[in-house]
Amino acid sequence: MKRREFLKLSTTMAGAAMTVYIPAGWRPAKAAAKWKVGFSQCTTLEPWRVQFNKDIQAEAKNQPDVDLVITDGQDKTEKQVADCENLIVQQVNVLLISPKESAGLTGVVEKAIDAKIPVIVLDRNVETKRITQFIGGDNVAIGKAAGEHAVKLLGGPGKAAGNVVEIWGGMGTQPAHDRHDGFHAFTDKEPGIKNLLNNQSGDWKQDKAYNIMTTALRNNEKIDLVYGHNDPMAYGAYLAAKDAGRDKDIKFILGIDGLPDEGVTWVAKGQLTATFLYATPGAEGLRQAVKLLKGEKLQPVITLPTMLITKDNAPEILKKNGLL
Amino acid sequence: MTLLRLLSRTKLYWGLLIICLIGALTSPHTSSGNNIFMSYANLTDVLRQVSITGLVATGMTLVILLGGIDLSVGSVMGFSTVICAMLLTKPGWTSASVMGVPAAVLVCAVAVALTARFIFAGLARSRDVGTGRRREIALSPRRSVGIPVLLGIIVATAVAWWTASQVPVKFGVLGVLLVAPCLALALGAINGLLIVSGRLQPFIVTLAMMVSALGIARLTAGQDNAVVPVYTGTNATEAFELLRSMLWGVLPVPSVFFLAAIILFGAILRFTTFGRYAYAIGGNVEAAKLSGIKVAQVQFTAYLLSGLLAGIAGVLFVAQYRQGKPDAGAGLELDAIAAVVIGGTSLMGGRGGLAGTFVGVLIFGLLSDILQLQNIDSNVQLLMKGLIIVCTVLVQEQNLGQLISRWRFSRSWEASVDPKTAESHRLPSAAKAQFAREDLDEAS
Repeated sequence: MKRREFLKLSTTMAGAAMTVYIPAGWRPAKAAAKWKVGFSQCTTLEPWRVQFNKDIQAEAKNQPDVDLVITDGQDKTEKQVADCENLIVQQVNVLLISPKESAGLTGVVEKAIDAKIPVIVLDRNVETKRITQFIGGDNVAIGKAAGEHAVKLLGGPGKAAGNVVEIWGGMGTQPAHDRHDGFHAFTDKEPGIKNLLNNQSGDWKQDKAYNIMTTALRNNEKIDLVYGHNDPMAYGAYLAAKDAGRDKDIKFILGIDGLPDEGVTWVAKGQLTATFLYATPGAEGLRQAVKLLKGEKLQPVITLPTMLITKDNAPEILKKNGLL
Repeated sequence: MTLLRLLSRTKLYWGLLIICLIGALTSPHTSSGNNIFMSYANLTDVLRQVSITGLVATGMTLVILLGGIDLSVGSVMGFSTVICAMLLTKPGWTSASVMGVPAAVLVCAVAVALTARFIFAGLARSRDVGTGRRREIALSPRRSVGIPVLLGIIVATAVAWWTASQVPVKFGVLGVLLVAPCLALALGAINGLLIVSGRLQPFIVTLAMMVSALGIARLTAGQDNAVVPVYTGTNATEAFELLRSMLWGVLPVPSVFFLAAIILFGAILRFTTFGRYAYAIGGNVEAAKLSGIKVAQVQFTAYLLSGLLAGIAGVLFVAQYRQGKPDAGAGLELDAIAAVVIGGTSLMGGRGGLAGTFVGVLIFGLLSDILQLQNIDSNVQLLMKGLIIVCTVLVQEQNLGQLISRWRFSRSWEASVDPKTAESHRLPSAAKAQFAREDLDEAS
């Protein structure tokens, strides 16, 4: 009896929850679009990924012929594979995918190709040559740009000198290694530049970077430049320096990503010296998909360019995004 | 012998001392020759860094002592950071997701209603004590889904909107301090009620809450926000800044919360009936029930407090890192459990305490600090943390002396055992024999 009462109660509550969600979640049926494009996103728990989704959604509004379906892999390979399989079953016309990791998603990409669905891979590649197109930024190139800028800030080629703190993204991820290698391609040539930290990973997170920087500040009386593998980590390092009262001594804090409401804002406020745009392939991905559907031939690889964002051009970018 | 026993009883503190010694001896020095590890600034930094995990671990200790587990603390903390950041940056909540607000209100309403119902049930129960009948607290739909839910919804909506739409920012900060932990407490209450009244396993319930709290947090933040920043258009006043400052330049404020929680709940566990009940329930639930302890209420309270402490940790997180994000506490539950276990609280319940947890949290924090000061590769740091957990628990659970003696000196050790101890060692088998006799008696 008690169990039944409990069941009844749970049903009532579930019902109550549904009455809240159904009106909010319900959308009127859209007029049938010509093409259905599926996009499998690996996670939406990172700001960069959120911007990615915003970009592709904004582009989808410009394409009346396209019905865009976005799935969220919730940062799990198996969930993303299931998402893709689901999109294949739905017989989307083009599959866009931004894989969580290369190996785990190669199989499902091949499955889509076998099902005669063209696949455009975004940001991270998969381990097969059978894809239609790859669109992504070049992390090594961005790292190099950051390294070049750092050398310039520290006194120019041949004369650059200073203590550098580098905060890594996830240690096991390719972007972190690429951003590291690119940066060091320039700074390692300068004998005056000393690297203070040994592979310290902030895991792309502001709070972890804050704690690493706190210790680094304690350990070193002179820090000239901080290089964060992404903006939130660079900002976390800035906050740590600010809380220690040393943000004025450390003049150069570099980040990567250049999201309008993050890195660009901080650069505009003078908290970060510079950031480098790591453009999301969202809009370009959808444009290419439409090109493909209209029967045009696609080039196999598109590399998105980077851009140096400093105090000079930051306000302009903010204005363009409606943040200023 | 007494000295040995004293040593073995205080081995946790020796562990802490040894870690401190290692830290002091290996620490790098500043150019003026000062030991960095031993510097006051570094030690208070460690204390500040462990405060968030520490607060969560305090609640976790209560739950684990009762033989339960709370996997939802990380997500609950994430939820709290989001609420806190939203309140700070978006007064009125008008820009919050349309779905997030009703979701938060619904959670709050259900929790308040269920809590009210639970308290009523508790009151009703006390009248039954005379008859000696044990009655589980049941949720009766006829009574519970009436007035309490309605009341709950009204109260929760009023509280949420009143606080969110507070015009003077001063009150807003006060509201943040109240509302975010209260909503977290509501989630804890749901955990507790499902476990106690639904008679579900804590692991399952809190696992479900871990997933759904992340969902609620993300709904509240709005689909477009992976992070709710407190830096742009912020209303964070100096009152909120205080939460990450040093109190009179002596102690970081987050660690004051942590220390207060340890002392408060430590005292509750040691000096109150609640504490005694907690140990009794953790030791043997059936026995506790039979001796008339209100098991359900004690368990419920533990999950409630665990949620509350996670909520407070969330507010401190926002103050420290100037951002709220749904996954702020990802993996935090495991850190907290690790700290509790290092502190000598048994995962089976009934054994351990907050002094241990305090030391466990500190050992964890100091260890990270030492590794960081040594500038050791991040991956090696993870490995070393794993090793230290295993080693500490090994020392905790097995008497290390016994372990060694079993390996190498087993014979000589046994030979040197004095007759009195040997007698007590034989006790279990004697007791077994007695039980066997009783079984026989019953059978005949």
